[in-house]
Amino acid sequence: MLEQQSLASLLEWPVFSMSSAEKEQLLLTEMQRLTDLHMEACAPYNSVVTKLHFESQDLQSLTDIPYIPVQLFKHQRLASVPEQDIVKTMMSSGTSGHNPSKIFLDKNTAALQIKILAQIMGDFIGKKRLPMLIIDCKATVTDRYRFSARTAGILGFSMFGRDVEYALDDDMSLNVDRVRAFLEKHEGENILLFGFTFIIWQHLVRALEKLDECLPLANGILIHGGGWKKLLNEAVDNNEFKERVGASTEINKIHNYYGMVEQTGSIFMECEEGHLHTSAWSDIIIRDPYDFSPLPIGESGLIQLLSVIPHSYPGHSILSEDVGEILGIDDCPCGRHGTYFKIEGRLEQAEVRGCSDSYT
Amino acid sequence: MIAIPKDISDKITILVGDPATLDNRPASVWEPARVSFLSELSKKLIAHADAKRRPDVMSFAYWIRRANLVKMQERTSGPDSSRIGLGLVFHICPSNVPVNFAFSLAFALLSGNSSVLRLPRREDPTYTIIVEAINELLAEHEQEAIKAAILVVRYERDDDLNAYWLSQADGRIIWGGNQTVNHMRSFDVPPRSREIAFPDRYSLCALCADAILRLEGDALEKFCAALYNDIYLMDQAACSSPQLLAWTGKKDDVTAAQNKLWPAFIKHSKSRYEIKPIQVMEKFVDACSAAISSENVSDINRDDYVLYRYELNNLDETQDDSRGYSGTIHEVALTSLDELAPIVKKNYQTLSYFGFSKDELRSFVNENRLRGIDRIVPVGRALDMDIVWDGYDMISTLSRIVEIG
Repeated sequence: MLEQQSLASLLEWPVFSMSSAEKEQLLLTEMQRLTDLHMEACAPYNSVVTKLHFESQDLQSLTDIPYIPVQLFKHQRLASVPEQDIVKTMMSSGTSGHNPSKIFLDKNTAALQIKILAQIMGDFIGKKRLPMLIIDCKATVTDRYRFSARTAGILGFSMFGRDVEYALDDDMSLNVDRVRAFLEKHEGENILLFGFTFIIWQHLVRALEKLDECLPLANGILIHGGGWKKLLNEAVDNNEFKERVGASTEINKIHNYYGMVEQTGSIFMECEEGHLHTSAWSDIIIRDPYDFSPLPIGESGLIQLLSVIPHSYPGHSILSEDVGEILGIDDCPCGRHGTYFKIEGRLEQAEVRGCSDSYT
Repeated sequence: MIAIPKDISDKITILVGDPATLDNRPASVWEPARVSFLSELSKKLIAHADAKRRPDVMSFAYWIRRANLVKMQERTSGPDSSRIGLGLVFHICPSNVPVNFAFSLAFALLSGNSSVLRLPRREDPTYTIIVEAINELLAEHEQEAIKAAILVVRYERDDDLNAYWLSQADGRIIWGGNQTVNHMRSFDVPPRSREIAFPDRYSLCALCADAILRLEGDALEKFCAALYNDIYLMDQAACSSPQLLAWTGKKDDVTAAQNKLWPAFIKHSKSRYEIKPIQVMEKFVDACSAAISSENVSDINRDDYVLYRYELNNLDETQDDSRGYSGTIHEVALTSLDELAPIVKKNYQTLSYFGFSKDELRSFVNENRLRGIDRIVPVGRALDMDIVWDGYDMISTLSRIVEIG
């Protein structure tokens, strides 16, 4: 059972202002508690930690915390609560496998996701709900056959807006008239925009460029995520993306975020300096891609993600296939404390293996 | 000659040969011109700048040296052979062990057949190097007869094409696992055609603890090199790569032998193995999955990333469902070889061994009346392809006897 009191105090941690020493102590205690909890409640997790010889007791530093690969959620059912306590199952197919990740949420974990996401978002967009324009079509959330990470993202972030409007028609074409009407209605107000990076690029930026139109969104704040793979294929990086968004919409507050369905709520926001930030409730460790040993600031490796959110499944410490490097701790010029980092890509995927599937 | 319909020829990419001159008339087995062609190919490959760094290409190149071919011929055929090929052999070549396409071609050539080989769509330097060498050789004069016997192609996974070639072929060699073998059997084939199928196989290694304990210095290093070749050269993706490693001996001896072998083996392997980060990650994911899914796996040793050892506290008939790659072995301690017998099924292929006599091994197979295990070879030779493979004598299977009374 979750102790409501300790959770309440958890939410009082200042989002981006603790010193790393202070944060590490709090986070380590919480990580130890979560490790104990999952060892006790999730037999598969216990088997992994025990049989693979991870230390799970008297953890001395964040790098000692046992970690499991993100991929494991695609192959195994990992839950730390009884079936009847599961209120929601989140899924994501990711890019690498056929099986979707399955993440089982109980009431407490689902609530914690929302509360922590709200705290992080608040630091970037303020506490007040803003009129919100979603760069996607309504069918993405209403059509139950289309449920995806996009649906989950849109639903999750919609909570921070009001008077939510969709910029795209169901065939993914930009409805300029509808968007202009929305902007007229909210003239003079700050506007929150949300969408997936590639959708924004393809269906907003490129669409406006083709139409040779510009939207008056100088008071807009754009939050976007979902990965760069498709954009990098088109040779568009973050700078180019920001420039072109700015040119076609006048938006100058643009924040990418990084996160994964296995740690929903625990997102890493891009600051004004272009750096991704850990919040009070998360941290990352960079590991050597060969022997998994922790690497120092400035060295590139696999990203391990820590989050205090996962209570109903053992996802508090996961090793991703994303590659990145820590740029610094507590000293980002944006003023936020915590670890800040950049993503450099993803492990190159493997080819077929074994003698059973070699007709390719 | 075969008249290949245009809709078929339009869909194939030709790497070697010419469909217009493809000749489906057989030749006698071990035809001297073909033996010469292969031995020339051997020289070309051995001299090839890019081949040196590829142990698979080199192993093929050495296998088709004239001296080795002559030795094989002596071993597999009588003096007055009246054998002649079947005609045309169609090959579905595997992507897990690219070099096997070349062995497959050599089997067909030496048994007197012409070949159509369908390569996997994925490029691999092994295909490129060998295809290039064959083309260079065929471009030299007086190779028309050989050229008419080889057609190497690529095409999408297209059943119209598969159906066509299968309908034309007097023999077929299907590499590619159970599913592919069954799939290819769903097409109409000439009633007298023959098949060599390579479905999923499972291979293992048996080590006698006493024998390992007696290894010192160079001998231990040599053994490590041999075991390394079996486990790592194909990243354990070959059917003959060992998956299960069974120790035999007294419990204390096995422990002592493990403590002796593994540190030396890890050291040796680290100096040779080039692993990609994605393989490291997949090994880790597989290990986590095995820890969860298998009750028989009691412990996973990962003293070093180069070698993951799954300790088994029990063996059962589902053992062949568990496979590891890129340096992942399932390890079990037994008192004798006979304890392996209950798990050996039809799909068991290669048993590599160290510290057992041939008599012991023969009685292990015969006394236990094993339904599986087609090859028993010393450690270090698990991946050696041979003219007898997977229980087939390639030459006799791909040829017929013309009796003259």
